[in-house]
Amino acid sequence: MSSEPNAYASHPPRLREATLLDKLVANGGVMSIALFFLACCIFFSATTDAFLTAPNLLNVIRQSAPLLIVAAAMTFVITTGGIDLSVGSMLALAATLSAAALQAGVPWPLAILLMLLLGAAVGGIQGYFIAYERIPAFIVTLAGLSVIRGFALLITGGYSIPIEPTSPFVSLGRAWVLGIPAPALIAIVVIAVAYVAFNETHFGRYVTGVGANAEATRRAGVNTRGVILWVYVLSGTAAAAAGVILSARLGSGSSNAGQGFELDVIAAVVLGGTSLFGGRGSITGTILGALTVAVLANGLILSHLSPFFTPIVTGFIILIAIWLNFRLFRGGAKGR
Amino acid sequence: MTDTHVSRVRMTGVSKRYGALQSLDDVSLTLAPGEVLGLVGDNGAGKSTLSKVLSGAVIPDAGTIEIDGREVAFASPADARAAHIEMVYQDLSLCDTIDVAGNLFLGREPKRRVAGVPLLDKKAMHERARDMLSNLGIVIPDTRMKVENLSGGQRQSIAIGRAASFDPSVLIMDEPTAALAVAEVEAVLELIRTVSQRGVSVILITHRLQDLFLVCDRIQVMYEGRNVAERRIEETNIEDVVNLIVGRKFAARSAGHNREKGA
Repeated sequence: MSSEPNAYASHPPRLREATLLDKLVANGGVMSIALFFLACCIFFSATTDAFLTAPNLLNVIRQSAPLLIVAAAMTFVITTGGIDLSVGSMLALAATLSAAALQAGVPWPLAILLMLLLGAAVGGIQGYFIAYERIPAFIVTLAGLSVIRGFALLITGGYSIPIEPTSPFVSLGRAWVLGIPAPALIAIVVIAVAYVAFNETHFGRYVTGVGANAEATRRAGVNTRGVILWVYVLSGTAAAAAGVILSARLGSGSSNAGQGFELDVIAAVVLGGTSLFGGRGSITGTILGALTVAVLANGLILSHLSPFFTPIVTGFIILIAIWLNFRLFRGGAKGR
Repeated sequence: MTDTHVSRVRMTGVSKRYGALQSLDDVSLTLAPGEVLGLVGDNGAGKSTLSKVLSGAVIPDAGTIEIDGREVAFASPADARAAHIEMVYQDLSLCDTIDVAGNLFLGREPKRRVAGVPLLDKKAMHERARDMLSNLGIVIPDTRMKVENLSGGQRQSIAIGRAASFDPSVLIMDEPTAALAVAEVEAVLELIRTVSQRGVSVILITHRLQDLFLVCDRIQVMYEGRNVAERRIEETNIEDVVNLIVGRKFAARSAGHNREKGA
């Protein structure tokens, strides 16, 4: 600590600068899911003819767009140490209401805008209870999961609402732009924005800060409650966008859409190395996690296995990937 | 140093109650520019709460705070920071998963604009972080290291560096030397002397009474949420301070050896 040179100054410093290996170990979560993702791709490429073809891969991305979009937003939520269980219900509500709005003659751009605003508002209400009323996120969004799906069922009476196939709205889910499906394109844009926001902005830094040590971040002069409120606005909006894309792709809005979707999203985020305890998150990991979940579902179908295998295999993969993450990669870093 | 007519800090009648516990009861505190005040008392005497009131982390039930003669009301730590009051918390208040530079700049990260979008200026953060640390004689090999990988002393240095580097006018340190090795304690005490010479007022909370006699101008003793005594450092000794802290004549061995040369 002393600025004066002392008698032992000639000894080599005990701490070295971070090497490439250190960095790989520090990003262990991302590394393990990257390896897993590659292994899955290689396995399905070798065992099925159809997997490694451009149409199939594009189809995987097209189908996983809602998952990717919501998982990107969920990464923010989980990094603050929170959780949003209501995204599947919000997706269903946005899907049904957008179909209902189009049927009622609302112009399609307005319908999309209204859905996004609704998602933001619902997220804001949940965020208010979590951030300002200090009710645990699990409880608030569990209530949200029930209430929001309830509204979707009430509005539709349990039926699905068809969307006119000639409406430009459906192109949001079905069109191809420059050889890429429109939903995939939207997902890529959302992910790029999420990546920059998470890693390069003040907001992203405070999201990590709130998850790592909320009181320290508050004492540093950050409006931590505002940060927490905003992550739920993000996840609500993202879920609404996913619902709009899903109804556009399917050509109908069903109140039963997205049952269990929140679990897929959380699985994707956690697979990507984001800690459920907060403070540690990675958008790159989330992308890989979401794609792994999507590739597994696709590959298992192509392998002519029963589709009911998918949840079993996905569950085991989550357990094994997290276990590897804990054992293999955290071993070199500080164990906590 | 205390002859200046306007106090840097003047807290009067500060009270704070947590449920059944009256943590602070009509406490006052004054601090002149460049003065080092030692705030002592047993555990639970209210030292930390009083300092948190001044740093905006705790909002008092009653009482006024004046900074440089102007009355202020801090609703949050951000307000106190804006008034150039910085605090080193006992628990250090660092974010483990954020790197060294990120912790130093937490809450006031430099901005750069790309196409009108405000982004973190990480390059400037790391450069300025290196400068800040080397100015204070703190050795951290890489400002990109996560704070969780640093030793206790290094973490403490980061917390102190953060508080001392942003032009504070009042620096509050709650047990800044608790986790430090011998040479590091010396460095912290040296830092306190340096900043107070620059006109920064320092409040030092510590259980290491010998440190008080090395850097403080004045000592204020608290007991169960009240001020009980104030002494200029040259008018007191360790034995006297120990007696004031425990509230009675206390023949402690930790104070005993001072009897011969002191009183």
